[in-house]
Amino acid sequence: MQSKLHTPALVAAAVLGLAQLPALAQSHTFKVGPIRYDTNSRTNGVTGIGIPPGADAKVGDATTVVLTYEYEIKPNVGVEFVLGIPPTIKAKATGSVAFLGEVLSAKNVSPTVLFNYHFGSRGDTFRPYIGLGMNYTKFTDVKTPYGWDVKMSDSVGFAGQIGADYALSPSLGLYASVGKVDTKSKLVAVSGAVIQSTIDFRPMTYSVGVSFRY
Amino acid sequence: MQKSYRSWARTWAVSALAAAMLAACGGSDPEVPGSGQPDGAPTARGNFTSLVTFGDSLSDTGAYAPATSLAGNGTAPYFGGKFTVNSATAKIWVENLATTLGVVTTPAEVGFGGSSVKCPVALTTPAAASTCTSYGQGGSRVTDPNGIGKAGGALTVPVKTQIANHLARFSSFKATDLIIVWGGNNDAFAQFGAFSVTATQIQTDAATGKITADAANLALFQAQTAAQLAMKQAAQELVGYVKSEILAKGGKYVVVMNLPDSTLTPFGSTLPATARPVLSALVDTFNLWLRDGLTGVPVQLMDQNTAGKDVYANMAKYGLVNNSVPICDATKIAAITRNAVTDGSSLFCNSTAGAPYNGTRTGSDVNTWQFADGVHPSPGGHKIISDAVAAQLRAYGWI
Repeated sequence: MQSKLHTPALVAAAVLGLAQLPALAQSHTFKVGPIRYDTNSRTNGVTGIGIPPGADAKVGDATTVVLTYEYEIKPNVGVEFVLGIPPTIKAKATGSVAFLGEVLSAKNVSPTVLFNYHFGSRGDTFRPYIGLGMNYTKFTDVKTPYGWDVKMSDSVGFAGQIGADYALSPSLGLYASVGKVDTKSKLVAVSGAVIQSTIDFRPMTYSVGVSFRY
Repeated sequence: MQKSYRSWARTWAVSALAAAMLAACGGSDPEVPGSGQPDGAPTARGNFTSLVTFGDSLSDTGAYAPATSLAGNGTAPYFGGKFTVNSATAKIWVENLATTLGVVTTPAEVGFGGSSVKCPVALTTPAAASTCTSYGQGGSRVTDPNGIGKAGGALTVPVKTQIANHLARFSSFKATDLIIVWGGNNDAFAQFGAFSVTATQIQTDAATGKITADAANLALFQAQTAAQLAMKQAAQELVGYVKSEILAKGGKYVVVMNLPDSTLTPFGSTLPATARPVLSALVDTFNLWLRDGLTGVPVQLMDQNTAGKDVYANMAKYGLVNNSVPICDATKIAAITRNAVTDGSSLFCNSTAGAPYNGTRTGSDVNTWQFADGVHPSPGGHKIISDAVAAQLRAYGWI
């Protein structure tokens, strides 16, 4: 599992031949700040023996703290590793089974690697950037009040962001970013019946915070 | 290099094709219970000398005949005894299949109201002792000895004990036995009955404002889940008996049949529209866990559920003209049994023309009307089952 978790980052490193790049001055940036996951989840329905037609579920929003590290590989290009403190996401039953209320909570461990293109040039106070990469999401601590044995499959998908850095000093700054992550999970809940759903989380992420560069 | 690349590509293409085909057949997903299938059953033709059947009323070849004694004292002659429309020629699927196989099968235990005799045929014909391999009894459940009708005198020996009784008499199963297990229907009825009692209370509480509609729905869901978990347990227990008491004790040619949808019956059509899906769900839950438990097990899992649905939906294809009205007339049977039997049970139903104990509805036909009573097939309905079972056995290459 551990090795799987790092796979996208390793692939990215290999693709860019990261290890062979010479270390540059001022090429390391750390960011920390709150991040909001606005899920716009959609499922293919919730099905299982004894589950009435029209059963569905909706995943709630979540807020956590995100940490990122970006390594500048060219003057305008960096590779950014993003990891939030796993937030607890909750799912509520909707549709014909709305009476079930909250059916599930889980933590999503969701590392992301992004290749960012920074507009402008070093030394600019305001530098917008766009990024594209991959996200891996693993769901842990899956809990339900209904005694089901729930498994949620891991997700690998594209991630993208647009953001901007505002330099307060050569090393300190502020940032803001909006991201979109492609996260899907197949859910299998076993009790008397076997309840299944594929959840497309479709989250938008909003983050602001401080950056430290050296 | 080129060659090895090609062979790799071909191998990949073949495995991709195989994967696609598996997916097309609803291939097994280890995370999804019930998505696999049994594996490893014999493929060679069987040299059958016995038909050994375990189950309930659908496979009962006359366990309760003494309850239908014309003299009323348990002695022959009997006017009923099987859960179909009885007559001198009426046969259930087990008997039809035995004829197809060229073997003889007789009831393993016969009795009613507390007393019974094992292998009664051997009392008069000792040489026939090996034919007492028909164990099905009306009301029997998988494990629970208190089956449906037990309080009224039915033996309801559960499938678990039926198998144990076979091992006690014959010490093991043989490669020449065709073994068919078809149990669980009465577990579904028992769980459905328990659910119905709870559901009625919940609905009353909701109607009188004692609980909210959401609370009522939640309570109903939980009651249904409890019933489903009980069906899961019954299915898993049945799988356990098949593995440890049949396959591990010499059974080679083993068929496990899943449950038909009991709502596709005259009884089912009387159920409220809200209750019918619950009974179907209990049957489906049992079938799911039966399949799950038998995944990779060397038996044939015969799908009676799908077969039965086709018969019900397309009765004309099977030569039927009526699948909604029971042949047995409850009023006539009540009169014949002096009001001892008022539910029109086919156990007490006889179609002999002109006989004073003829309990059939005027204008009915035992061959073209599917049901004898609310849930049990007529001889015509049984023939459809035995024809389908024989066709499946041919498809397996067993006969």
